[in-house]
Amino acid sequence: MLPITRRQVLKGASTVVTSAAITSWAPHVARAATPVQVLSSRYPALEYYADRIRKAVPDMPVELQMMPFDKSLELITIALSSKSQSVDLVYATESTFRTFAKNGWIRPLDDLWAKYKQEFKLDDVSEQVLDLFRYDGKLYVMPFTTLEMFFFYRKDLFDQAGAQPPKTIAEYHALAKRFNSPMRAGTIKCLKTGDSVLNESHWYMTALGEGWFDPDFKPIFHHDKGVQAMEALKEITAYAQPGYTAAANDECMIALQQDLAAMGPQWTSRALAMDDPNKSRVVGKFEWVPLPQGGGKISMDGYCISSFSKQNADDLFRIIATATNEENMRGAASMMVPPRKALLNDPALKAKYRYYPAALVALETGKPVPLIPEWYAVGESISRRIVQGITGQTTVKEALQTAAQEAEAFLRDRGYYRT
Amino acid sequence: MKPRFQTQFLLFIALSAFAALNLTPVIWGFLTSIKQPVDAFAVPPKIVFTPTFEFHYQIWVEREFWRFLLNSVVISVGTVLISLPIATMSAFGLSRLQSSGSRGLLAGLMVMRMFPQILLAIPFFMLGRMLDLIDTYWAMIGALVALNQPFTIWLMRSFFIEIPEELYESASLDGCSIWQEFRLVALPIVKPGLWVAALFSLLFAYNEFLFALVLTGPHTKTLPVAIAEYGGEDVNYWSLAAAAAIGIMLPIVIFMMVLQRHLVRGLAFGAVKG
Amino acid sequence: MTGDIIAPDASLAGAYGIAPMTMVKEEITSPLRAARLLARAPPSLADSGERSKDWKYALFLGPSVVLICCVMIYPLGYALYSSLFNYDLGSGIHEFIGLDNYATLFTEARFWSALGRTCLIVTCAVTSEFFIGLFVAYGLYLLVRGGRALSLLMFLPHIVTPVVAALFLRWIFMGRWGLLSSLLISFNIFPPDWLGDPSWARFTVVVADIWQFTPFMILVLLAALNTVDECLLEAAKLDGAGHWTLLFRIMVPSVWPMIAFVLVIRVMDAFRSFDNIYVLTAGGPGTATETLTMYTYTTAFKLLKIGKASALGVLTLLFVGIVAAVVITVLSRMSRGRGKSVI
Repeated sequence: MLPITRRQVLKGASTVVTSAAITSWAPHVARAATPVQVLSSRYPALEYYADRIRKAVPDMPVELQMMPFDKSLELITIALSSKSQSVDLVYATESTFRTFAKNGWIRPLDDLWAKYKQEFKLDDVSEQVLDLFRYDGKLYVMPFTTLEMFFFYRKDLFDQAGAQPPKTIAEYHALAKRFNSPMRAGTIKCLKTGDSVLNESHWYMTALGEGWFDPDFKPIFHHDKGVQAMEALKEITAYAQPGYTAAANDECMIALQQDLAAMGPQWTSRALAMDDPNKSRVVGKFEWVPLPQGGGKISMDGYCISSFSKQNADDLFRIIATATNEENMRGAASMMVPPRKALLNDPALKAKYRYYPAALVALETGKPVPLIPEWYAVGESISRRIVQGITGQTTVKEALQTAAQEAEAFLRDRGYYRT
Repeated sequence: MKPRFQTQFLLFIALSAFAALNLTPVIWGFLTSIKQPVDAFAVPPKIVFTPTFEFHYQIWVEREFWRFLLNSVVISVGTVLISLPIATMSAFGLSRLQSSGSRGLLAGLMVMRMFPQILLAIPFFMLGRMLDLIDTYWAMIGALVALNQPFTIWLMRSFFIEIPEELYESASLDGCSIWQEFRLVALPIVKPGLWVAALFSLLFAYNEFLFALVLTGPHTKTLPVAIAEYGGEDVNYWSLAAAAAIGIMLPIVIFMMVLQRHLVRGLAFGAVKG
Repeated sequence: MTGDIIAPDASLAGAYGIAPMTMVKEEITSPLRAARLLARAPPSLADSGERSKDWKYALFLGPSVVLICCVMIYPLGYALYSSLFNYDLGSGIHEFIGLDNYATLFTEARFWSALGRTCLIVTCAVTSEFFIGLFVAYGLYLLVRGGRALSLLMFLPHIVTPVVAALFLRWIFMGRWGLLSSLLISFNIFPPDWLGDPSWARFTVVVADIWQFTPFMILVLLAALNTVDECLLEAAKLDGAGHWTLLFRIMVPSVWPMIAFVLVIRVMDAFRSFDNIYVLTAGGPGTATETLTMYTYTTAFKLLKIGKASALGVLTLLFVGIVAAVVITVLSRMSRGRGKSVI
């Protein structure tokens, strides 16, 4: 009995495999309507847009691959650098697109922009956003979302203690200290090595320090003011939720939602999650103001067209333009700040979403990260050193100096400082 | 020492406690997958809650994880079906070769097993792109079969060298060709070992992440890669990841349970070195 | 003298009850034992008739060798080749710099600390896995009933996909609301920051490795313990030997080759471990858990310096090879007195 069963299993399995293998050749042999391939990051607003992208042009099938930001950046970089024809649209932020543009991996959109300006009302897109998406004078990215950080705080706790939301960073520190208790930390801090650290330190470096680089892109963040800024960041970690060095946005959100912290900087796109009873214990208890002293990170992202794509560029442009037309963008307005002026100033939206007013002000006072293609690569080392300084593995000054050296060496390798 | 009841009982309790402790992460993962995020990450941990299977439904049906499961199964089964025969053949050959070249080869295989995966990942991608094999089953299966060879050859060889010389001698006296020696004399004896090798090859192929990340695309994406895509940005994603994580384990667990008997025979045989 | 590479029988064997095992043993042992002795005839007698057949046997190796050459040798060659270049994916630079990458790495503090850290983590993890595995295996060995079910349960962490396993562990160890922390907090004990404190992060990474791979150890060691001759044990018990003596003076020495094998395998694998650390701490905080593999990953995929990353990979390979060789030598020497060879 046994041999028969096993043989059957083996037979069945080999049939499955062979047929699957054969069918997998099919896409290569007969490409009727080749689907458009999109590589993208993943967060709620993008998922909403993904749906719109898929439905944008009726007889053009679209396939999206979505994954966490870090991974998507790696995959996109690998695909573009190897001039792969298998990718048509890629996700980019105001920093990452510069690398792509610098290397000629993405296609400028100016001609298509002019061509379809009327049809998609492209004039409505905010100039501030478009400026950030220009490299060498050319536009490369179709804007999809604007994201910025602002300040979350527990109104109920503040009211109880008769406190006002902070207007300066010093006030923020004092409030965090005041509300700090064993069961509930004063503030959240998202200092997981990588993107999170850069976001948090960007605020302090811009508001208290003098920024990251000078006009020639030499590091200046290790000078006195920068050191002071990072020392301030180190100081506030005393009132931060335990585990903050392994916390990225998600973990910080959980801390806020589970009543484990009283305030802190986070992205506007996450404001509504505070009021979702499936996720939050503190529904209705949070309010928002712009970051004290401004300087919070502004991030914009969108999609670009790969230079190596074999698809018709017009079609690709139509897909991304349709997905971001006013009607579609409105649907995403609860998850991010829309780049279109009509929506930005829409009173209905302001009334509908409690956090909108604060988000709009944050847009004015925020600042994007240094607009060099190598920001994320350089930032990777900088973020590690900052964490080392903050956790006391080295002094803050030493950490920043090592970071500056590494950054300078890296940029020199990439061709900076040649003149 | 005759097994005294008290000792046996205490031992059983102690080992059960160890097993339970060991399973805690998995159990907790399962619980997380059926809780709403507000309950899943509560402090103190919530044992009483209203369960929901919405995340399981969402991930397997709406987000089409069943497709990735299919891919994973096709790739793993394919890998095992190709890897096992050729590795067994190699192992047989190696076990019969007395030359020092074979020892060298064996050592070389061991060295290959030491390769850091990252070292190979980028060349794999370049190679796959050159041959236009990215996002095909063959690319993954080919890579996994090759990566699986060192371990499987080693394993099967150790079963083969147990076969006594006279069996081969009497076979060749009977006029058997080498292939017949392999098929009629050697294979039946090491059959139990094949199941062990199959299990480990299956595990290896099924759980592979880095190469799957590099070599698969939307059509052939496997479960580990798909799960990793739900890394962050929204707590809901974690519940989804939990649901996927539990589901991904089921096929292997079922495989092991169904084939328990064969595995026992294989391992019992192999363990005899007395 | 033909060497004995003992099978890595990660086995559920012993756990399935001693009875079937003894039955099998009695049936096969004697003739097999006799046959083995015969098979150990001096090589000259054995292969006089074999030499002509050798090339036929070599044919059996054909498919594997071809595949391995294509799929593993070529990429290795490519990596070696890349390591001699300053190859930067981000800017397309591709210039020959000879051994410069290696020179940079050897003079880099980050490389050496990553190396040291990797050694520390591997040593702690493998040693713990071995001793825990040994004790649990011995316990299962002594168990008359229920061993099978228990060992199947214990094997579960090993079959969990590493990425998934790391996710599960993250939810246990995350500060404040992870299971471990929130449990301790409800008893009013405020736990350290498992993932966020540099030293505790290393501890957690080691625990993650132990969780995943101790089952493997348990099963291999259990199979090994099951091969020990019962007569030896009976004799020792009659002499009044306790468990400790039985285990360490009799059982361990007699299965030394299998132990050596599994230790070497574990050391080699632990050096290359990636998924766990990546999901748990991403090499952080700072560089507290940055192992060689994490550093290679960062260099390749974040800094996009393929040349340097390839050099790192090659160095990792060399180092693992050296460590494996050292471990094998040490273990061989330890078993010399017992008359068993290891490889």
